[in-house]
Amino acid sequence: MTPKDSLPSGAPSAIRTRVPWSRVALATLGALLVVFIVGPLLRLLFLATPASMGEALRDQELLASIALTLGTATAATLIGALLGVPLAYLLARRSFRGRRFIEAVVELPVVIPHPVAGIALLLFLGRHSAVGGIFAKFGIEFVSHIPGIVAGMLFVSVPILVSGAREAFRSVDPRLERVARTLGDPPATVFRRVTLPLAGRGILAAAVLAWARAVSEFGAIVILTYNPQVASVLIYDRFTTIGLPAAVPAALLLLAVALGVFALVRVLQPAERR
Amino acid sequence: MIRLDGLSVRVGDFLLQDISFEVPSGGYGLLIGPSGSGKTTLLETVAGHVPPVTGRVHLHGEDVTDLAPERRGVGFVYQNYHLFPHLDVRDNIRYGLLRGPLQAAEQLERVRELASLLGIEALLGRSIHGLSGGETQRVALARALAPRPSILLLDEPFAAVDPATRHMLRRELRAIHTHEKVTTLQVTHDFDEALRLGDVVAVLAEGRIAQLGRPDEVFRFPNSAFVARFIGTGTVLRGEVTRQTAGEDSPFSAWFESGPLRFEVVAEREGAAHAVLRPEDLMLSREPLTGSARNRFPAVVNRVERVGPVSYVHVDAGRPLTAAVTTASAAELGLDAGVEVVVTVKATAIHLV
Repeated sequence: MTPKDSLPSGAPSAIRTRVPWSRVALATLGALLVVFIVGPLLRLLFLATPASMGEALRDQELLASIALTLGTATAATLIGALLGVPLAYLLARRSFRGRRFIEAVVELPVVIPHPVAGIALLLFLGRHSAVGGIFAKFGIEFVSHIPGIVAGMLFVSVPILVSGAREAFRSVDPRLERVARTLGDPPATVFRRVTLPLAGRGILAAAVLAWARAVSEFGAIVILTYNPQVASVLIYDRFTTIGLPAAVPAALLLLAVALGVFALVRVLQPAERR
Repeated sequence: MIRLDGLSVRVGDFLLQDISFEVPSGGYGLLIGPSGSGKTTLLETVAGHVPPVTGRVHLHGEDVTDLAPERRGVGFVYQNYHLFPHLDVRDNIRYGLLRGPLQAAEQLERVRELASLLGIEALLGRSIHGLSGGETQRVALARALAPRPSILLLDEPFAAVDPATRHMLRRELRAIHTHEKVTTLQVTHDFDEALRLGDVVAVLAEGRIAQLGRPDEVFRFPNSAFVARFIGTGTVLRGEVTRQTAGEDSPFSAWFESGPLRFEVVAEREGAAHAVLRPEDLMLSREPLTGSARNRFPAVVNRVERVGPVSYVHVDAGRPLTAAVTTASAAELGLDAGVEVVVTVKATAIHLV
């Protein structure tokens, strides 16, 4: 029953003079949340004086760490795209036994606490594990090496990529593909000429989001590979060993990267999903 | 030639069953059925997108049931046209030519030829966004026809355009059909379309073909009350047939009684039946007509519906009936709501199903 229904019929004046309390309440709750998100970020941005930014940009260790972060995040995203985009297409277009199960598995990392993911990856990819042993034969070591960073990033970011790409494929009307088939194209050509161009923006947006997730990862990486330090680990390290002032310039630089990515995703996303 | 041989197609939860239907080479066939009767899925089966549960699809004498869509030489136009949103008008039309044997210049020539046939040359450089319904339909048709398919499948091609455009497009479509010599199968829910376009028509009811034939035949002699109602042949009355005189002869003179109305009819069997009264067979007059017609009863005009030169007069004769008269004679007779008239119909004009 809506509040209006509960009014006695024949009391229209009560409706006219009623203060829209529900709207006031909703607006207040919303405003609190917005302040809670924007407030801390603004507080941090106020520290971005020319002096502190100059200090950050002269800090070779910080710059190397950010370069490492961006490079490993890019690698994780490319690997994720290579393995995940075909899977996303299958999930979007084909119905097969176990499809829902695979869909659930791919989403699973979202609910796993990141240090737990780090521990699990450590056990799975460590030099003395079966899988880690195989990689070790090819000279690839995960724990305390760069591949460990990539593995941690991949684990936490790939759900974003697969589900985003899957939705991008689903948004392409299968009838467009059917029309293309009747116009003479075999399925692979239809994929290249119709599906991919139409889903491309959505997939790219998903990849950028996954990349941003990889850049911001801390929990899994800190367990797998503390050194060399990605930016998030470096910030944590300086905060705990030196103190807050030492962590701020690094935090500012990483925030700038994140905001840039955020703007890029907003541009890439189709208008109706913004 | 399109030949469907005992085709069963799964449509959501139900089956289209035992669909057998043939459109001769160069012919124009129509499948009519209510919305949601699986017409689109049936067309997709002919095109090869959906495998049939049972039955075969033959195109030009060849069994193509197991052939991929791209190898069937079929053009397909969906109800909502489905132009490629990432391509402009020219590239949409050209899409099916890129794989073909034509050089780039020849491809563009073919695009121009179709554009001029359909009157859309001015649109070629345009984006497909912002095209009108009629323009979109023409582009979709040109795209389907560009690779010279021998078969054209049309899914309610006029559903999304306004009536005036629909009228024009129908005429163009018939002309294009002749020009391109393409065997066409169209699905529609509009029997009027069948009458204007089709050489052969199949009426779908409850997952099966209820009636198959030339459109004018189906219209004049619907074989069931469903078909008669669905295609809008006329008023369908439910009643009882009884012999006027005992005997075994057939057909025989009989009475058809429906509520307060009693008609003299020519029947082939007794018992429960539906009578189809076509609007053009009901004559209206202010005074009883003289002559041999014996089915004559008083009625009151409810409403006069003018459709150009023809007017449909809805009357109440104890049962609602609809008569068609020329708009001129409707005016001459002074037909208007509340006017008392006499309805006359020949026994031989009442079609029993």
